[in-house]
Amino acid sequence: MGPTSRETWAQRLGTFRASPSAFMAGPEGEDLGRHLLSDLRSEKLSEPTKVSLLALSLEYPAQLWPDAPAAEVAATSLLDTLVLLPPRPSALRRPLLLAATTALAAGGALGPTSRASRRLLPLLLGLASGRDLGRSFGPASEQRPLQATAWECLRELESCKPGLLGGCLGLLRGLLGQEAAVQPLSLLLALALRNALVIQARARAGLQGLLVAGGCPTEGGPWNWMLAEEGDAHLQPQAPSWPAAEEGECCLAMLELSPEEARELRAAVAQLLDISYLLTPVAQAQLLWLLGWALRGLRGQPPVLFKPQLVRLLGTAQLTLLHAVLALKAAFGEALFTAQDEALLLRRLTLAAQHPALPLPAHLFYLHCLLNFPENWPLGPAGEEAAPLLLGFQLCRGLLPSLLHDPMALLARLHLLCLLCVEDEEKEEKGQDQSPRQYLEELLAGLRQRAALDGGPRALATLCFQASYLVARCLAGQPVVLTPLTHGLAQLYRARPALAPHFVDLLDRVGPELGEPLKVVLRQEVVSRPGRDEALRWHLQMLARVADGDAQSATLGFLQAAAARCTDCGLQQALLQVCRALLRAGVGGGLADLLQALARQLEDPDGRDHARLYYILLAHLEEPKLGVALGPSLAAPALASSLVAENQGFAAALMVQEAPAPIRLSMGPHRAKGPVPVLQLQVEVLEQVYSLELRFRVERQLYAPLGAVHVPCLCPGRPTRPLLLPLQPRRPAPARLAVRALYTTPSGLTCHAHLPPLLVNFADLFLPFPQPPEGAKLGFFEELWDSCLPKGTESRLWCPLGPHGLEALVSRHLEPFVVVAQPPTSYLIAIRLPPDSRLLLRLEAAQADGVPVALRTDDWAVLPLVGDYLRGLSAAG
Amino acid sequence: MAQRAVWLISHEPGSPLCGTVRFSRRYPTVEKRATVFNGASYVPVPEDGPFLKALLFELRLLRDDKDFSESRDSCSHINKTSIYALPIGGEELWPVVAFMKNGMIYACVPLVEQTLSPRPPLISISGISQGFELLFGVQGFLYSGQKNDSELNTKLSQLPDLLLQACPFGTLLDANLQNSLDSINFASVTHPQKQPTWKAGTYKGKPQVSISITEKVKSMQYDKQDIADTWQVIGVVTCKCDLEGSMPNVTISLSLPTNGSPLQDILVHPCVTSLDSAILTSSSIDAADDSAFSGPYKFPLTPPLESFNLCYYTSQVPVPPILGFYQVKEEEVQLKITVNLKLHESVKNSFEFCEARIPFYNRGPVTHVEYKVSFGQLEVFREKSLLIWNIGQKFPKSMEISLSGTVTFGAKSHEKQPFDQICIGGTAYLKLHFRILDYTLTGCYADQHSVQVFASGKPKISTYRKLISSDYYIWNSKAPAPVTYGSLLL
Repeated sequence: MGPTSRETWAQRLGTFRASPSAFMAGPEGEDLGRHLLSDLRSEKLSEPTKVSLLALSLEYPAQLWPDAPAAEVAATSLLDTLVLLPPRPSALRRPLLLAATTALAAGGALGPTSRASRRLLPLLLGLASGRDLGRSFGPASEQRPLQATAWECLRELESCKPGLLGGCLGLLRGLLGQEAAVQPLSLLLALALRNALVIQARARAGLQGLLVAGGCPTEGGPWNWMLAEEGDAHLQPQAPSWPAAEEGECCLAMLELSPEEARELRAAVAQLLDISYLLTPVAQAQLLWLLGWALRGLRGQPPVLFKPQLVRLLGTAQLTLLHAVLALKAAFGEALFTAQDEALLLRRLTLAAQHPALPLPAHLFYLHCLLNFPENWPLGPAGEEAAPLLLGFQLCRGLLPSLLHDPMALLARLHLLCLLCVEDEEKEEKGQDQSPRQYLEELLAGLRQRAALDGGPRALATLCFQASYLVARCLAGQPVVLTPLTHGLAQLYRARPALAPHFVDLLDRVGPELGEPLKVVLRQEVVSRPGRDEALRWHLQMLARVADGDAQSATLGFLQAAAARCTDCGLQQALLQVCRALLRAGVGGGLADLLQALARQLEDPDGRDHARLYYILLAHLEEPKLGVALGPSLAAPALASSLVAENQGFAAALMVQEAPAPIRLSMGPHRAKGPVPVLQLQVEVLEQVYSLELRFRVERQLYAPLGAVHVPCLCPGRPTRPLLLPLQPRRPAPARLAVRALYTTPSGLTCHAHLPPLLVNFADLFLPFPQPPEGAKLGFFEELWDSCLPKGTESRLWCPLGPHGLEALVSRHLEPFVVVAQPPTSYLIAIRLPPDSRLLLRLEAAQADGVPVALRTDDWAVLPLVGDYLRGLSAAG
Repeated sequence: MAQRAVWLISHEPGSPLCGTVRFSRRYPTVEKRATVFNGASYVPVPEDGPFLKALLFELRLLRDDKDFSESRDSCSHINKTSIYALPIGGEELWPVVAFMKNGMIYACVPLVEQTLSPRPPLISISGISQGFELLFGVQGFLYSGQKNDSELNTKLSQLPDLLLQACPFGTLLDANLQNSLDSINFASVTHPQKQPTWKAGTYKGKPQVSISITEKVKSMQYDKQDIADTWQVIGVVTCKCDLEGSMPNVTISLSLPTNGSPLQDILVHPCVTSLDSAILTSSSIDAADDSAFSGPYKFPLTPPLESFNLCYYTSQVPVPPILGFYQVKEEEVQLKITVNLKLHESVKNSFEFCEARIPFYNRGPVTHVEYKVSFGQLEVFREKSLLIWNIGQKFPKSMEISLSGTVTFGAKSHEKQPFDQICIGGTAYLKLHFRILDYTLTGCYADQHSVQVFASGKPKISTYRKLISSDYYIWNSKAPAPVTYGSLLL
């Protein structure tokens, strides 16, 4: 395949950069590294394109050459390309050096067995030390930038492989006296020196003349990997973080230096510090970090060497320099900084943290440094932010927060103010200034006022709550601060209930010192001011967090009033959340009424289900079990907020699961009495269930909706009472009832099952008329008989009789409805058909195989049903 | 002490992602060290897309802050520095140094040379301050002299090369990117020995030194019994030394007249070689007394090639240059305003310009203004709800001027009119903008004799001075106003 064109590469690089992982997973991914290396040598591609290819390899070597062998091959190829460049000026030499270094170091290929490493190292050292490497290394004009680059490459390799240049310390020192490339050389020397000290200390060896050895492994001679191999296992922080340095300290203390070695070391450090002024500020800072940690803990190396630099450094506004001074302070403490020096440093830091000429991020970082200041004699616990002892209130006056500050600055300064308030409280001093506490209160009030702005950005509200949280955390023990804060927050809620999520969040995070009183005032705030629509949503959300066993009646009253206005599904859910919170808090009586009402009146079926379920739980579970059922998980009883609970254990615990029917229902004997027909249902229990709720749905809406039937507990093998199901027919007609069961299993799961439908027969609806007094019966019947016409209808049927005759048939099926009986031949029967129909039968002059029936009804629609019924009687026996 | 990656992101509120990565650079050798140092707590640097999204969310720059989001809005999620933890792919990338300036977000991830759990304090991480310097450097480069988008694009296109120079392996070598650019251009020049690294080459030509002192004065005036007015002068001394030789020595002195106000809080450029301890300790933190060091302030230095800020200072002058009061009374739909301004007699009465801007926030557009000014002209910007009182070049002989009038507002429509989180209710301010040439409020000056140059040839020395206003607020005295602690008197 020929070289790729410039445009193709540009497009390919663009796609790669947009998402390297996607590109590498695509068809072009696999060969990208190979193509890149080969096209670097193509004569058709321009230098700028090649530079862009090298730029890619500088950033993504791990994607291009994912393992050490591939990295080795790549580095070799890059070095070959470098050597093959024609001797004219080229923009490729620098990036090629950088790319080869990057490939080796990032690919993990750097080592004594790597051929590329053995080629690269002497090449770099040769270039860096200004040795003539022949015409292949370009024109003289390129030598200086290449030299600087070579030093940087060596430093990067030393960073990744500590000890690599340990054998060159003497050479580096020698060059420092003559070379113009002061900065890269100083930094490399400092780094190599520090690494050598640490490695030798670990090996419990001295410096072994490393600092003065002039010889160097160049000129094709073998590279000295000894120190690097020793240091290999311990990649050295160039500027270790402070706590980590503690280990380094003990380590360096092991190092035994001879008097000459100590002198040489001091001379080297002094030499580096003397010319540090020539370095850029960021490079000076690196040098100070390195040397500071190199000398720390080293016996017989007083840190006074640094002293001449300090005044100059303290005068600057450079972030890195001041930071480096703080690092020296942390490293040497009193050995380098007297109490007066410490005070001066603190003042400069305080000044820098508010100096109008510096940018905000610098201010904030300096404030952080102030609160983490490495004091000579720290009093407080380590690792906790605190105002240094020498930083009195007077010094901090300019660092106090005001509403005009940016949010981050305000919070940082507020933290300082809180720390000062703690001290203020401890000292009980009354100066002439306004007390910091009073100022704090006013500031918080101002923040709340801004947060209350209707339609204001959320960031303002967030800031107010962050400030409140910070104050509550720092000043938890000061009711004198927390009380006005509590009331201020309640006022804020009154002004803008839409901040409810922030309040809930705050309550979840602050300790009881603020949390408890805030809960109480917020609850009062909610229940005493029922709001409309939008506010109601927030009130309910708020109440779900703050409702508990206290002030039950007010809470329930509020909820009852709210229930009527909870028209949409979201509001109903919110309402139920509150109920749930109350349930968990162990609120009983009034809640049961409310839940029952909700189970009836909510529009959303899911809401009704929940209400009913809560009611059932309330009715049947004892308080501890309730807590478990409603808690976040069955294993860990309730502790988190209701919001958290809702999406974790609650869902698992209360999710209704589909299951096979645990019971079988059948129709019991017909009870013909009472104002409405009532079905008697026989229950056959297959599994143990708790809190069984049976729901019935009447198909075709022939009857009014049926209420559910509840059974607390059913056990197989234990006798059960029949269940009574009253019917309210809208028409006197048989119907099918769909049946569902909702219940809890012994393991606590809520299940749901469909049962086979129940058939309600025509006769199941029959009700008797009230019995008239003896003697008036015939008249009563005749009156009914006559009243059916003209609205109703009359008919005659032949009702077949079984072997037992009419008497048996009547006593078996029609007994309750007989008004006048002349057994065995004649019966007058009156049946009430709810809702308001009647059926009158005259069974007279029965013969052996049947009886003629004259019937009248005021509802002609029942005629076919009556016919079927009567004809079926004989079959039924 | 190194960076794992650096990004430049332009914030584009209208676009679907709300931002675009304009530049990014990763440092794989540093990343390699991060895997070793961070160990189990190592979180890789993400690709640009996920990083952009996570950063914009954290900085609250995505549009959807309508609903409460716990990960962003929780009260315990407090950032007190410009250093963030970004949730990316279930892990948290920390520390991410990031800040926004002029619609551009600058971000980098410094290497932490130890485990990240528990997180070490920021102060102990050397890469943090280096990261800041790198970002400040990039920012300074992009916005030095840049005026429009095409210039910005040109500078952005130079960044890869510049960083290859200034930060080839993730360890910053020079935060002054302009210097790196110059050193690419100066590359062919043979350096003499001991040339400072921050000086890319040597100057050839006529020796000259220019020193310009710019003082900004800011003020908060309340006209209230229990709140003290505050004002402060912030000075910056900018120098350009065109001198031959690799390390010419120069000493620049700033002087004060006998009744001048002492300079305090002096921060110097790193090229200053030594500093008098009196300069180092003169600070506004201390209660003022007569023993304050009042100069001359001597700065021995080796100047860089380019123009540089020799020092910054602050000063507390005895009186504000212009004292004013502002009263606003709300009368139904209109506001009745009264402004009175008085120039102090000691101040040079010769302005390049002087105007008072009177904005009205959280109200509708201005529909009608009736006014009377004793001096100058009033301009009305109805849609912006803004009045500008042009005072001109000079205060009248009485040194005192006034404005009174009534402003009527139309109905408020949320989008158009300016919103302000401070100016709620009656809280309102007017802001003064003015500039006086050849004048400093402290009296600070640098004359020709105050510059000593130890180099060949006698340089031509030119000096400039000016005073400009900055954050010069006069608050409505009839309503609450935001105060700083310093304003609260017993």
